[in-house]
Amino acid sequence: MALTVWDYLPVIFSGITNTLILTLAGVGLGFALGIPMAFAEVLGPRPVQLAIRWVGRVIRGIPLLVLLFIIFFGFPNIGITLPPIPSAILAIGIRSAAYQAQLFRGAVEGVGYGQLEAALSIGLTRWGAFRHVILPQALRLAIPGWVNEFTIVLKDTSLAYAIGVTEVFTQAVHVAQVILDYLTPLLVVAAIYFTITFTASRLAESVYRRVSVPGLGGGAAL
Amino acid sequence: MTVVLKVEDLWKSYKKNEVLRGVTFSVNEGETKVIIGPSGTGKSTLLRCINLLVRPDKGRIFLDGEEITRPGINEARVRSRIGFVFQHFNLFLHLTALENVMLGLTKVKGMPKEKAEEAAKKALLSVGITEDLWHKYPAQLSGGQKQRVAIARAIAMNPRLILFDEPTSALDPELIGEVLKVMEKLAKEGMTMLVVTHEIGFAMKVADEVMFMDGGRIIERGPPQEVILRPKNERTRRFLSRIWELYDLGVRG
Repeated sequence: MALTVWDYLPVIFSGITNTLILTLAGVGLGFALGIPMAFAEVLGPRPVQLAIRWVGRVIRGIPLLVLLFIIFFGFPNIGITLPPIPSAILAIGIRSAAYQAQLFRGAVEGVGYGQLEAALSIGLTRWGAFRHVILPQALRLAIPGWVNEFTIVLKDTSLAYAIGVTEVFTQAVHVAQVILDYLTPLLVVAAIYFTITFTASRLAESVYRRVSVPGLGGGAAL
Repeated sequence: MTVVLKVEDLWKSYKKNEVLRGVTFSVNEGETKVIIGPSGTGKSTLLRCINLLVRPDKGRIFLDGEEITRPGINEARVRSRIGFVFQHFNLFLHLTALENVMLGLTKVKGMPKEKAEEAAKKALLSVGITEDLWHKYPAQLSGGQKQRVAIARAIAMNPRLILFDEPTSALDPELIGEVLKVMEKLAKEGMTMLVVTHEIGFAMKVADEVMFMDGGRIIERGPPQEVILRPKNERTRRFLSRIWELYDLGVRG
């Protein structure tokens, strides 16, 4: 009796760990870089604003696959050799940073100049005003967009297949090649992506409700 | 008499639009000065220059004798000594009334939380914001309550001077009184205040001096009885007659 996809399910599932690692590390790196980028782009000195804006533009203008190949196959030329997983995290993280910077910049601008003026007028520094007044409001405003970014990153981790990372999509393709059936394993992997996305959205929605403050965009559906 | 604020020949323009054209005046300790005048004549810009939110092109500003317009000044430190009350309140939307007042105390003055809370409660009570409102968010307060919280936020920092930028212009008419009453009390207690307002009644009652601004200059100044009831300048007269028509206060001298 020929083996079916069900016999190989554990193989596909074994890729979930790497998918989650790529997603969380990528989004995390994107957040860590995106927040200061957003701050600099809105409140930094003019030349810094321009520099950050252009860095973002360039990165957003490059396909993730190209970025991935530049880092994995190209960087060794300049003496930087990274294994597949760190390469993928770096590419995904940098790309996500460029988008998250946009997302948070929009949210920061959405908080409004009046809040910044008030924060400065009680004697906070620009960073203090950002940290204690602008950011807490901007993060709340950014949650729906941020969940969207998270799901995009999750799905884009499948591109790491191209540099040989054994994430969930890679595993599904390998199984498909063995059982000579592409449809079922790929439907399985599609279901896995959907389940993670759906769970993350529900989770974010409950966080959103928990941190929502009257009058600050609380309660809206994602 | 101690001079708290001195503004010396202040100029500011945005592109070709000259907003301030040589403004000079000073405010003594405990005085309340009121600035009136049509919109777009630089009143707001003047206040924003004083707490360094806007950089003047020319001219100097002194706070307690120290030039605060000189390059390299610690802007945050200067601002912590000058209160600012905005037309649209600008309460921190993610913080409760109490937290709004506490933020400057803990993050700017470095007070421990318990002490800041105590000082904040005292400031809130002094503007008539009672315990039932302390844990409400700005969106849950009326306009008058918001503005009184904003005044408490300024008072709590124990500033040398409070600037008011049309503090009642965004309020429903029935809420204006409660805010003006708080400001009047503050003036009586000896706070130094510079108030931009259209509330002629408040100016009459509280102001030590009224300054009429038009076209980026102070074109008339003096005791309220003089400037408001017997304006000498033609433009002051025209502006005030429009205000009188609007309010019809019936106390014209």
